[in-house]
Amino acid sequence: MGWKGEIEMIKRNFLITLGLLLAITAFVGIRSALAKPEPAPVQQASPLHPTFALLDKDGANVLESNNPVSTMQTCGQCHDTEFIQSHAFHSDLGLSDYKENGGYNASTGTFGKWDPLTYRYLSQQGDERLDLSTAEWLRLYGTRIVGGGPAETARDGKSLTALQADDGNPETNILNAATEESETWNWADSGTIEMNCFLCHMDVPNYEARAQAIQSGQFGLANTATLFDSGLAIQTEDGFKWNQFAFQENGEINKNRVFIKDPTNSNCAACHGEVHPETEEPLTISAGDLNHPQTATTGQVIAAQRISDSGVNISGKNDINRSWDIHAERQLQCTDCHYALNNPAHADEAQKAEPDHLLYDPRTLDINEYLQKPDHNFARGQSAQFNVAPEYKGTMRRCENCHDANQGHADWLPYIDKHMSAVACETCHIPQMYAPAIQSYDWTVLTLDKQPVKTYRGVDGDPNAVTSLVTGFQPVLLNRTDIDGQKLLAPYNLITTYYWVYDDANGNTRPVRLLDLETAYFENSVYAADIMAAFDANSDGSLADDEQVIDSSAKEEAVKTRLESLGLKDPHIEGLTQPYSINHNVTRGENAVNDCKACHSQGSRMSQPIKLANYSPNGVMPAFDTANNVNASGEIAQGDDGAVYYDPVPANDKMYVFGSSRVNWIDWLGALMFAGTILGVAGHGTMRFLSSRKQPKGSARTERIYMYESYRRFWHWLQTTSIVILLFTGLIIHRPDIFGAFSFRGVVTVHNVIAVILVVNALLSVFYHIATERVQEYIPRPYGFFDDAIVQAKYYISGIFKKEPHPFEKRPDSRMNPIQKATYFGILNVLLPLQILTGALMWGVQQFPTVANLFGGLPFLAPFHSLVAWTFATFIVGHVYMTTTGATPLEAVRAMVTGYEEVEVHEHEEEVMTEGESK
Amino acid sequence: MKKRTLTRLRQSVHRFPFWTLGLLGIIIVILVPVLYFFPRADQPSSNPADHLPEKPVHVDHADIVQGEFKTGQDVTRACLECHPDASNQVMKTTHWTWESKAFDVPWRDTPVTIGKINQINNFCIGSQGNENKCMSCHAGYGWEEGRETALAKQDNVDCLACHADTGAYGKGLFGNPAEGVDLLAAARSVRAPTRENCGKCHFDGGGGNGVKHGDLDESLYFPTTNNDIHMGGQLDMQCTDCHQTNDHQILGRMIADNYTIDPKEQVSCEQCHVNQQHADERLNTHLSAVACQTCHIPALATEDPTKVFWDWSQAGQDGRVDDHFTYLKIKGEFVYDKNFAPTYLWFNGNNEYRYLLGDKIDPNAITYINKPAGSIGDPKAKIFPFKLHIAKQPYDVVNNYLLQPITSGENGFWTTFDWNSAFELAAPVTGLDYSGQYGFAETYMYWPTTHMVQPSENALQCEACHGESGRLDWEALGYPGDPVEWGGREK
Repeated sequence: MGWKGEIEMIKRNFLITLGLLLAITAFVGIRSALAKPEPAPVQQASPLHPTFALLDKDGANVLESNNPVSTMQTCGQCHDTEFIQSHAFHSDLGLSDYKENGGYNASTGTFGKWDPLTYRYLSQQGDERLDLSTAEWLRLYGTRIVGGGPAETARDGKSLTALQADDGNPETNILNAATEESETWNWADSGTIEMNCFLCHMDVPNYEARAQAIQSGQFGLANTATLFDSGLAIQTEDGFKWNQFAFQENGEINKNRVFIKDPTNSNCAACHGEVHPETEEPLTISAGDLNHPQTATTGQVIAAQRISDSGVNISGKNDINRSWDIHAERQLQCTDCHYALNNPAHADEAQKAEPDHLLYDPRTLDINEYLQKPDHNFARGQSAQFNVAPEYKGTMRRCENCHDANQGHADWLPYIDKHMSAVACETCHIPQMYAPAIQSYDWTVLTLDKQPVKTYRGVDGDPNAVTSLVTGFQPVLLNRTDIDGQKLLAPYNLITTYYWVYDDANGNTRPVRLLDLETAYFENSVYAADIMAAFDANSDGSLADDEQVIDSSAKEEAVKTRLESLGLKDPHIEGLTQPYSINHNVTRGENAVNDCKACHSQGSRMSQPIKLANYSPNGVMPAFDTANNVNASGEIAQGDDGAVYYDPVPANDKMYVFGSSRVNWIDWLGALMFAGTILGVAGHGTMRFLSSRKQPKGSARTERIYMYESYRRFWHWLQTTSIVILLFTGLIIHRPDIFGAFSFRGVVTVHNVIAVILVVNALLSVFYHIATERVQEYIPRPYGFFDDAIVQAKYYISGIFKKEPHPFEKRPDSRMNPIQKATYFGILNVLLPLQILTGALMWGVQQFPTVANLFGGLPFLAPFHSLVAWTFATFIVGHVYMTTTGATPLEAVRAMVTGYEEVEVHEHEEEVMTEGESK
Repeated sequence: MKKRTLTRLRQSVHRFPFWTLGLLGIIIVILVPVLYFFPRADQPSSNPADHLPEKPVHVDHADIVQGEFKTGQDVTRACLECHPDASNQVMKTTHWTWESKAFDVPWRDTPVTIGKINQINNFCIGSQGNENKCMSCHAGYGWEEGRETALAKQDNVDCLACHADTGAYGKGLFGNPAEGVDLLAAARSVRAPTRENCGKCHFDGGGGNGVKHGDLDESLYFPTTNNDIHMGGQLDMQCTDCHQTNDHQILGRMIADNYTIDPKEQVSCEQCHVNQQHADERLNTHLSAVACQTCHIPALATEDPTKVFWDWSQAGQDGRVDDHFTYLKIKGEFVYDKNFAPTYLWFNGNNEYRYLLGDKIDPNAITYINKPAGSIGDPKAKIFPFKLHIAKQPYDVVNNYLLQPITSGENGFWTTFDWNSAFELAAPVTGLDYSGQYGFAETYMYWPTTHMVQPSENALQCEACHGESGRLDWEALGYPGDPVEWGGREK
């Protein structure tokens, strides 16, 4: 190629380059002309919250200092974070209540109170063996701790970072599990965890990064790690860096990065339990996970989804078309009931100590005051976690604050007030739990992965295996005492723990430290030889599930010996059964317990036992935890299968449940009375029959007398019918299980209606007798009464068999013999009024509970009523038999029907009688 | 004589057991209060199945019908021998006329009828001039002779379309029986219409299974309970159980081809579900603002997909692979969807607007083929589920109205793929001028959803509409916000 060619090429290249440049310029020009002036602003995540700068501990913008964020400083720019922290039991966790006592419970909160499920305890100053130092406590439980309180402040109220290292101080040391020695913890290096506002006030905090920071002991990083998903902070290999692009020029975060919002159910779920806000995605549960304690301990799941739509392998799931929780379904948030106590939106329900005449005090906080100092003590119920923040118990909106039980149950439930005063709403409206819950933790044995032996209720097999069938469970009903003193039956799960305790140097009995337990069981991470020798029954060199239990003295002794060799004094096994309150997973009435016989029958829900554990380790029975508001009046007993059960005994709580409760001796006495009378009259009748055959035929002279006028007959038979019906319906109410065909509610109504008829009939009859002066007939004359009675008795004993005439003539104006008079006197003046009175009082437990309680309440009235009923039944037998002693066996009955009776003609006695009467 | 009678009377009075009166009194005193106070179970709600029509006993026509039939009309004449009024009755129905009564509509000066016969939709656009294909769904024969003749003759009523066993009958060109159909066998198979008869046209409307409705497709031939609680399951309901028929007048109207509808002509849930409200009062508070269908038809096209988008502008391209669900050269591009949430609008049963041939459009805005009537301020309106079908369909760029092409036939678009000729051919048929320039405009058509009702356990729950992930756009519906917090429209 010549030079000409070269020039051509240069020219061509130049032209191409020029063309390209022109094209690019044009393209850019056109593009910029076509482009919209400004991209639409990104939707702000939190439309109300203003933008803000992130500050570090010293109040400097983190962009300048590159330090971790300080929530107290950052949020403190507008909100009074000091106030919030000092009004937040979520932050305090028992620190303010902390008292050293040499034992293993130093406070009522998570910080200081021993929990047999998590097992490890917070060591106090002066403990001979260090278990959880403050630092390790944070590392262990920190993912569920919001920060502030014990995460920042030492037990004496000073800052943790100000503590001087000291060998014996559990606040400045940490137990090295490998060396079993305590080592110094440097708070300056680790930093502390400030109360983390983001944890609850952002949509998706980075829980994982936060947990990682805490578990690795980088406490100071925890709150910044929460932001790793927000785009503000970016995780790097050696920590993190702030994303400059997420901030405005003035150092505040970009408008579209404002993430602050009200806490959602998911925020609460992070620490409390399973919540499933998704509707499409099937719910799955990580059961028995103590990071979700509410679900693990009770099976409570907060989800709007239908149970049938969830992904849990629940038995009969397809037919359970209700949602997990009606309140979640109806779009309630946790904070709707567990609101901040000074939230002016809830001012009405939070007001308590008002002058009585005041219904509502409008002088509430303004919204700006509230936003500045929102009280982070949240309204709470009266659950069994009795000791946590007891001062806020009962501050919450409860069922009855929103729902009117009288309205809701009006169309079917009788005795609404009585039911409501004895039974918590949850008892019927949480009939069944559909997620597994912990049944027992046996820390007396450690499995190879250094865990206790765990059992779950409501599931067959491993609670998290997809092949396990989740059967759910019925909560046990226990009597809870509310702060106002009201006792209500409420649903609970009972969790039983077994563990080794020993006497420490201070003379306190305390659980064996986990490290000691591990040392006793394991050598080089395998079971120690003498443990293996004692436990491995089939000598296969490993411990099968059924071998991991202390079921013999030899096993107990083997562990005990090893514990003693660690210097533990008097190690022995204890057991504890703790109630866990169930208040969520509420269902609507149609799925609630709404069959009377569910409680009012022999197999009553109220006395239904619950299994506590599959065994008792070498016979050690668990004790019921009494440090709560649950009155466990039932019995803990071992069944024939070796399992341990809790049997509720409603009678011990002074509860009398018709159809379920009964006093045995009264029934026995009554039945004996009844049967004895039947036997008596049968014997007497037989003898009369036999003797009549020996007697010559030929009857005594009789005459036909108009004995009973029509009204008398009417009230008699009406009373007869009433009493028979009352006895029968009463029997059904007493033993509904043997009369399954009858509707319990219907029978109760019939009983009440007939009782009213009987009372009215009796009153009218009394009026009639008084008005006609016939009442005299019923009044036994004291004079000569015993003589006459003896005469009459002699007649029944001997005369009657000899066909002797009746000693006393039956006449329209004097129809009764002395024994009869005495009997009726007793029945009409004593038994009938008593029965009416007790019956009315029992009916009145609804209307006038105080009156009924004055007479001992249902536990006294009901058995008494039964006893009198037995007496009436007995009387009827005798009464009917006595009607056969007239001129002919059926004559008296006929007379009571027609009015006319053939009676013996007495000639001489008549005078005697008249004399007697006139005397 | 008299005395003896008296004595006897006295004796009989004496013999009368007066105690029975007392017994009666006691029974009354006991029973009356007990019965009065005895707790009653709530009145059982009426059984909706009681409202199903009684089915007449089937008369087997196998022995009655004698041949021989050469044409469909032959069959009709045979039918008319015994059912002389049948044709007259059918010819009064919209199944025959394919158009509504004349409506006075606010955007037109003269009353106008609406229907397939003279209007357009956004599927195959229009039937005028396309009768050879479209009439395969018309219950009449003889469209090769033109509309006037076809519609005038009694013999042209196609009895077999609705009454023959669908296995023995099928339709071909111009509404006539398909070739090879044994008309005698078909005629002998006649019986009351089944889902198969109705389904032949209504399940396959728009040119294929499930194309048009979203709540009607071939899955309803053999439905499960979960597909449709009425047609599936034990009741196995037929279309005519709800769309009850008197003198061939069928109850139930479709708003896609109407303007306003007399409620008396409609089928509604409440006709059978009398007072059968929910046990849950909270749900009942919804009834004044939410139609039954809204909760009980949570999803459309649960089994078979339905067409939700149709782009005619892409039709006629060479070299693209035809696929029933994405592209056909004759029809353009489509989107089908399955098991998806309906679109929700206030609806009082009428159309607020129905596009009429010649109505002007704004090509840059959405043109509504129909717009369901109702708003938050209309007390008769309820929130109702619709299938929304979006299309890009041809319009006249100069005249600014939608165009109806001739698609079928020798010179139709489906043969020539030439839009201009398709519009020019249509001009004399529709009476609308074609300027020679066409474009494609976006149109919306709403199809009310009322079939594929789910068992109650599949109905929507609160969170489906309320709360953060709810499916309703409350502000678009006219609420200030979620009524859970902001209150319903009555407040």
